[in-house]
Amino acid sequence: MKVEDKNKNINKEQKKTKGNQELKTFSWKRVLAVTIRILNSFKRDPRTLGLLIVVPSIIMIVFGLAFSGEVKDVPIIIDNQDEGFDIGPISLDIGTNITDFLINDTRVDVYLGSYEDNIQQVEEGKYIAAILIPSNFSEGIYRLSMGYNTVIEIIVYIDATEPNVRASVLNSLYDALAEIRGSQGIQINQIIAHGGSEYTGLEVGMSASMAYVLSFLLLLISLVTLIREKISGTESRLYSTPLTATERMLGYVFGLTIIGLLMIFAIMIFGIFVFGIEVRGSILLLFISFILFGMVHIFLSLFLSNYAENEFQAIQFTPIIVIPGMAVSGMLIPIYSLPDWLEPLSFVFPLTYGVNIIKGIMLKGWGFKELWLDFVILTGMIIIFFVLALITVKDRMSD
Amino acid sequence: MDNYIIEVKDLVKVYKTGNIKAVDNLNLQIKRGEIYALIGANGSGKTTTINVLTGALYPTSGKVRILDYAIPKDRKKTANFIGIAPQEYSLYNELTLEENVRFFSLLYGQSKSEFRERLDHLLTILSLHEKRKTVVKNLSGGMKRRVSIACALIHDPVLLFFDEATVGIDPVQRKFFWDYFRSLVKEQEKTIILTSHVMDEAERADRIGLMRKGKLIEEGIPSELKEKYHTSTIEEIFIKLSDVGESE
Repeated sequence: MKVEDKNKNINKEQKKTKGNQELKTFSWKRVLAVTIRILNSFKRDPRTLGLLIVVPSIIMIVFGLAFSGEVKDVPIIIDNQDEGFDIGPISLDIGTNITDFLINDTRVDVYLGSYEDNIQQVEEGKYIAAILIPSNFSEGIYRLSMGYNTVIEIIVYIDATEPNVRASVLNSLYDALAEIRGSQGIQINQIIAHGGSEYTGLEVGMSASMAYVLSFLLLLISLVTLIREKISGTESRLYSTPLTATERMLGYVFGLTIIGLLMIFAIMIFGIFVFGIEVRGSILLLFISFILFGMVHIFLSLFLSNYAENEFQAIQFTPIIVIPGMAVSGMLIPIYSLPDWLEPLSFVFPLTYGVNIIKGIMLKGWGFKELWLDFVILTGMIIIFFVLALITVKDRMSD
Repeated sequence: MDNYIIEVKDLVKVYKTGNIKAVDNLNLQIKRGEIYALIGANGSGKTTTINVLTGALYPTSGKVRILDYAIPKDRKKTANFIGIAPQEYSLYNELTLEENVRFFSLLYGQSKSEFRERLDHLLTILSLHEKRKTVVKNLSGGMKRRVSIACALIHDPVLLFFDEATVGIDPVQRKFFWDYFRSLVKEQEKTIILTSHVMDEAERADRIGLMRKGKLIEEGIPSELKEKYHTSTIEEIFIKLSDVGESE
């Protein structure tokens, strides 16, 4: 009897449990189990956990600092030829007053020099504008104020490939004139550099974006491809074959470069033919530049893949390079407008040189003569990353 | 001395991560034309030993000579003579069977005609002809194992390492593999070193080494060992020796 009772109770319990399970189509306990599982996985992967905190922090710091101000410190040349004008005991020197005002304006970084001598420097990108204040400027201003019908012209030779930078220079000049006497009657004659190239924000943004898209995608795809080989166990099988680490890496480079070429074709076709962005320089040089720039990222991924243990870590590496790169490379705001201490950081990122080259060729019609240093630096980066990859590559299983 | 294709003396392997002694003073001498089975439970150090012998993993101490070359120093010199089918299939899942084998063939410097000839031979023996153009991820576990063996054999090596090659396959396939291993030794004078945690597999090897906690606890011809320990199976010997080990 007792045994029967016991069995009944057990059956009851079983039915009860089964019943409960059937009733619960949704269980917070099960949700909690999955949540805890996810958190435990992160807990056991300290590098990923670190990256999860460090990566967003770095990105936010760099973006915050990069965008903390307007476009400023734009390098310009002023050639003040104003001879001044004496009205009895009063001496007018308005050209100097305007120059002094601009020197104190944070939007521009003023250098004094000859207009004629520095036009070429504007063409080559050292200065954004060269401003010529004519010799009769003060006299002209006096005559204007006396009601004479006279024309006073300030010549501004300006790089107009970046609308926001151009606006910053012109605004500072208008403000200076307004502060000194008002700009009425004074003509600002703009001569646009690079054969008169004026572009819209879309065109400027798209050319830089082409470099960015290649940088971001190629780095990500290369890293994931390399890590996948590592974690799939195929790489360790290769350790026992005649394949050396150098051969293996060169094989990766050639394979990924071909993949990169497909991306370059797609990017160029969309940028140039679909969006109709004019290429003022050589298309061949543009293509070669994309290949060189892409290869920097392939070699960088070779090096970084030696430190990533899983695909997730590889994916974490990508934003830490490409997002701060976007903020400091001159893609969004000019490098000279960055806080002084942040400016050197821009020279570390391949994107800085990539953006300069792509924008230079597409918007300014630059060639190798103007861009040789950027090409040399990108080539140097390839060599450095390859050497670092060779030093850190594993050619055997880790202990 | 020349008769030994593998000589291992006082081999120790300590993994830095976790400070684990995976192989503890291992001594081995394997003759040409033998099927030598390293038998032991999971974690006994079999795979670590294979990885050290193939040069994929550096030893902590001890001497290893393969085909009279010092390992790991001359590991790339021996690479052409050895073939390995790892415990994991270690294949490129997104490639076809043929593409996988061709990849390894190129690593060993084979010409296209050599590859074709050898591939045809292997696909016939391993009954894989129909799957030649199949993407590896669509193959069953047993087929993947065969593809892995084809990759190990494509360059016709003299020394073969099969790490847990018969794990997870049905008895029919297991018999097929053993018959094939035996034919490789008999007809092609290969030497095979294989690992298994299945004790009854040991019966089919020429000689076996029983491993436990990184040590080689017994070694010999299966029939002689059974006679020595008065048992009918290798498993019983293993249990006996393990009991001794535990009580010590």
